[in-house]
Amino acid sequence: MTTSKIFQNPVSLSKNIFVVGSILASFGILLVTVGGSWDITNHLLNKPETFFSPPHALMYVGVAISLIGTVISFFGWKNSKELKNFFSIPLKIKLIGIFMLTGAGPFDFFWHSNFGLDGLLSPPHITLIFGMLFCGLGGAIGISRFLSTCSFKNKLPNFLNVLAILPVWLSASGIISSLSLPFSNTDFFEFNPEPLTAYVIASLGFPFLIAFSFMSLFKLGKHQFGLFSVMGGLFLLINGSTAIIPNFAIGDSILFYSMNFIPFVISDIVLRLSKSKITLFSIGGLLGSIFYMIYYPYIMYTFNEVLLGKLVSPSLIYFVYFEIIQEVILFTIGPAILMGILGVIFSDFFSKKVLPNNVRSIQ
Amino acid sequence: MKKLLIFIFAISIAFYFSLTVFILPDAYLSNEQLIPKPNFQASLSTEEITLGDSFRLDIISQNVGDYGDIHILSTAFPTLETLDGVVDIVTYDFSQTPHYVDIEDEVGSNYSGGLESTFAKYPSIESMNRPDQPNSTYHLSLKITPEHSGVFSIYVKSIIIPHTSEFSHYPITGKLDHQNEFVEVFSVRVNP
Repeated sequence: MTTSKIFQNPVSLSKNIFVVGSILASFGILLVTVGGSWDITNHLLNKPETFFSPPHALMYVGVAISLIGTVISFFGWKNSKELKNFFSIPLKIKLIGIFMLTGAGPFDFFWHSNFGLDGLLSPPHITLIFGMLFCGLGGAIGISRFLSTCSFKNKLPNFLNVLAILPVWLSASGIISSLSLPFSNTDFFEFNPEPLTAYVIASLGFPFLIAFSFMSLFKLGKHQFGLFSVMGGLFLLINGSTAIIPNFAIGDSILFYSMNFIPFVISDIVLRLSKSKITLFSIGGLLGSIFYMIYYPYIMYTFNEVLLGKLVSPSLIYFVYFEIIQEVILFTIGPAILMGILGVIFSDFFSKKVLPNNVRSIQ
Repeated sequence: MKKLLIFIFAISIAFYFSLTVFILPDAYLSNEQLIPKPNFQASLSTEEITLGDSFRLDIISQNVGDYGDIHILSTAFPTLETLDGVVDIVTYDFSQTPHYVDIEDEVGSNYSGGLESTFAKYPSIESMNRPDQPNSTYHLSLKITPEHSGVFSIYVKSIIIPHTSEFSHYPITGKLDHQNEFVEVFSVRVNP
């Protein structure tokens, strides 16, 4: 069965069931990432001494929703004869992800019970984050493939791609954060990354990831105007409400953080006017270069380790962040722009894999 | 069209970077740092007991300054080798569970927040609350049953992190303890 034949078929019930499952899986992962970011702040401010905390509850509600979504996707896939091949890859990725996610819960509880409070980078946490990434990726491919097989009267469904890509972006951010933030030493283990290595990982990884995520969204979302502003705005909202607002001492820096909406709006406007290769690379470079600002406040800890080595308690975060901002931009802007451009190139490969050529040509 | 595009792009980026890298950071850095100020009132139930009897030490610890991240009240026992069977916590409303420091444990020193350290020469109890709101009040009551006659001493101090000035610890003068930090000394005479 070719994908062009799929196109000619009416939207089947099983296809709808599959996409509902994919949406639930992606939404669940989004909740897990929100809970994860909240959990980092909770550890930093309140140092919870028990596994049972509100951020953990939100994370495991997210896991449950993703599990339900994956099960629904499975039944949708199983009953759709023509679509089995087309939707089998996203389903397999989701199954791998959900297996890791559900396994990470008891593993994390076991770890807490035996080794006390664990840091950001620990075996159960890395299992959880990779599970989130795989599950989010499966959901994203499922949603995008579904949308590519439908024709809608208005362009609103294109924004579903935001729900597809945002959890992937946040999950991958979690991996880079785990490998670069010095939050992983405990009484039992010293998992903090070596400071210079962490500096390099953050300086290269975040710019690549931002550009890759937005350009993938742009391509999968059929170049829809407003996609950058919606996804960028949601990211700022999530990070602002989980990492800035709860910290009383840095609450007033929300004004600074909200300025980061500007590059996303610029990107939308510029891409509305031109979609040339030069324009795409310029936007990729721009998005790469703003990584230090949009990952405020915790990214400061990575760069502080190398540049100042200060002991930074939560209420002093922005004093140190703003003390080093010019130095960080000076040292990282060149590589960040290059990694942003690389993110654009890789997003092209990715979007072609997600939407095979015969589907894309039909569009 | 191309010129308009380049113009919009350049002006917007210049505006964004000048605001986020130069103007707003300078404005935030000109803000005064928060200065939390710890304080405590401690009272002994008696100043003299007979060996075998117990006495109480009641402490009310406060933050009378700005918001802080961690409030620590330390009660140390320079005449003891272990707290077992001698010191019991009767009242405790700090948010973190009490941290027991044994002899030879590594502890911070010189109000460095852990950047400088030393080894404990006597046991202590660290009561902690995080975060530490302005005008917050916490209570610690200890029931103490000395095992030997003589003078039984207790060192009490309070610190709030971030330690930004001399007002971030209490007392600000007096006897220095094994961490090279000021303590207030409370003593009870234990008669044979």
